[in-house]
Amino acid sequence: MRSLWKFFSSVKLAIVLLILLAAASVIGTLIPQGEPPAAYAARYGQLAGLLSGLQLTGLYHSGWYLALLFFFAVNTIVCTLARLPAKCRRAFKPMIGTETAGLLALKVKGRLGKNAPAEEVRMRLEATLKAHRYRVRSQAAEKRLCLLAQKKKLGHFGSDAVHLGLLVIIAGGIVSGLAGFRTHLDLSEGQTVKVPRAPFEIRLDRFETEYYPQGMVKAWKSTVTVIENGASVLTKPILVNKPLTHRGFSFYQTGYGSNWDNPKLEVTVKKKNDPSFARTVQLGVGERAAVDDKDVSQISVKRFVPDFVIGEGSQVETRSQEPNNPAAQVEGWKGPEKVFSGWIFANYPDFEQMHSGQPTDLSFVLKSYSGSEYSVLEAARDPGVWLIWVGCLLVSAGFFLAFYWPPREIRAVLEEGRDRTEVTAGGVAAKSRESFQAEFEAIIDSLRRS
Amino acid sequence: MIESTLFTIVFVLYILAALFYLAVAFSRNDRWAKPGLGLAFAGLVLHSAALLVRTFESGHAPFTNMYESLSFLSWAMVLAFVLIDRKFRIPRIGPYLMLIVVGLVALASSPLMPKEATPLVPALQSYWLWLHVSVTLLGEAFFAVALITSILYLTADSDEKKEKMDSVSYRCVAVGFPLFTLGGLVFGMVWAYKAWGTYWSWDPKEVWSLITWLVFALYLHTRIVMGWKGKRSAIIAIVGFLAALFTYFGVNYLLSGLHSYA
Repeated sequence: MRSLWKFFSSVKLAIVLLILLAAASVIGTLIPQGEPPAAYAARYGQLAGLLSGLQLTGLYHSGWYLALLFFFAVNTIVCTLARLPAKCRRAFKPMIGTETAGLLALKVKGRLGKNAPAEEVRMRLEATLKAHRYRVRSQAAEKRLCLLAQKKKLGHFGSDAVHLGLLVIIAGGIVSGLAGFRTHLDLSEGQTVKVPRAPFEIRLDRFETEYYPQGMVKAWKSTVTVIENGASVLTKPILVNKPLTHRGFSFYQTGYGSNWDNPKLEVTVKKKNDPSFARTVQLGVGERAAVDDKDVSQISVKRFVPDFVIGEGSQVETRSQEPNNPAAQVEGWKGPEKVFSGWIFANYPDFEQMHSGQPTDLSFVLKSYSGSEYSVLEAARDPGVWLIWVGCLLVSAGFFLAFYWPPREIRAVLEEGRDRTEVTAGGVAAKSRESFQAEFEAIIDSLRRS
Repeated sequence: MIESTLFTIVFVLYILAALFYLAVAFSRNDRWAKPGLGLAFAGLVLHSAALLVRTFESGHAPFTNMYESLSFLSWAMVLAFVLIDRKFRIPRIGPYLMLIVVGLVALASSPLMPKEATPLVPALQSYWLWLHVSVTLLGEAFFAVALITSILYLTADSDEKKEKMDSVSYRCVAVGFPLFTLGGLVFGMVWAYKAWGTYWSWDPKEVWSLITWLVFALYLHTRIVMGWKGKRSAIIAIVGFLAALFTYFGVNYLLSGLHSYA
């Protein structure tokens, strides 16, 4: 146990761990993280197996990276605790008694004699030190008075605050990882969904995309109503950078998508031997629209895909939900008789190879298509996040204390001789020694002049 | 229009300042440092005006694309230089710093960088943009000064110069590291939480700022606890700067991730 304590209280271990963590983190940015195995096989070939075996493809969540972090946390705790008692003693229960020889060995020191009793000199010195915002303690021994003045004592604990802050952040990360929860919600306008694990539902009232005059997207805005037990409790817009928070769940605008289940389509019918003829009808999938022409009375749409591709077994599939190659399977009717059947393509209006049925004079064009836009919200509950903010505050405050609140300590020995008191003083400052030297000299000067 | 005119004048002032400082370096005479500093300071004032004009014209923070961000970084570097030179009287860093600044401004002015102010994409519409980017870049500017003093430490010929460079390096890290931590990591986490609902996503830019942070943590621990000074400290500070540089620049061009704007 003792040797384990010693192992973890070593700063060398901290240095090794800092280097290992940095090196591991570098590797994680060079190898793409969290992709499907096939992507690694394509990119790294035979090495792919080795990479996933060493967990380099999900490095930041791997056992060994977490083990490094764990060691780092234990090391931080032990190092901090090992040094804390001595610091506390120095700051709060310091030894007041001191020897003149020790003071004279310091870099910042001074000596002077005053024609006054020691007690009076002590009072003057104490007043001067207090004017410089020092806290003064004194101790009387035989013919000797010892003074200890301290200020900015909290500066001793800057690094401890940073360390504590880091540990709180790591703890917050653990809480987030274990108890946090997040999920995507795809919502079309008017749709209500139950938020997983939450005692309420949300309904998307409106989803708007605002544009700048130049045509760039200015905002995605989802107006959402929170519904509890069937009753609306609040309605609020959610924008990027402006989440909605309700009962510990937050909702973020993270994206949008188009839904092609029920698109609005426009189909134009033309005749090859009559260029002046063109009729456009509007319809949806599974609907029929009247053309009222002698050659074609009605059009119907059997199917629509946003990204047409011929998949396995010569089946029509969609490659993605992006409208890269929108296509509709349309049928033309002359009374009960099917006069046209085939796929038509918005991007390739002249492509008619797929047409089947009787040879016909008719030609169909997919003039326009529009899916319904839906909003993608991220729903998240993160019970660890407040620990992160507390940790960040501690780290920031710790940095301030460590770098800009340097503790200072002045000690003095007053030795009473025959109607004369010899004062020997010396000081220690952790940082900015020049300004401390100046302050020290000012204090000694004002004592000399008093 | 006003902004680009100002920026051109600033560019010229920085070049002149760099020339005066080069005269310091080659003549080994600090006489030329004063006009050099004056020109750099004049450049800084006009550069501040240019950034303000840009802010008013575009209606948003002047660091939303690479051009703006390079301009702001060079501004922050000159500011860091002026402050450090005022405190430590260290004109020898002038030539190197001003050359880097001229390089950055030249890069910003080059046709590679689109200069028109574009309206803010939804992800950047937040006041955290101001805090996150400005404080981080200011911290990185101090890292850049620490880089120069560290290199000068390694090449210095006298112990007196070495000691000064070592101490100024440390003071730069003592300013840059807290700023970088606050701006890059703390403000970054707060903003990420507000925008994406997660304070940390292991995005390459996040990881590289963590790496930079670890390197400077190493610098402080080896220096303060183990008493490393001089050469080894200088090398760690240089590595730390390179990590910061990669975080700022390399990640955008070489790795892909969430920080796709700048």
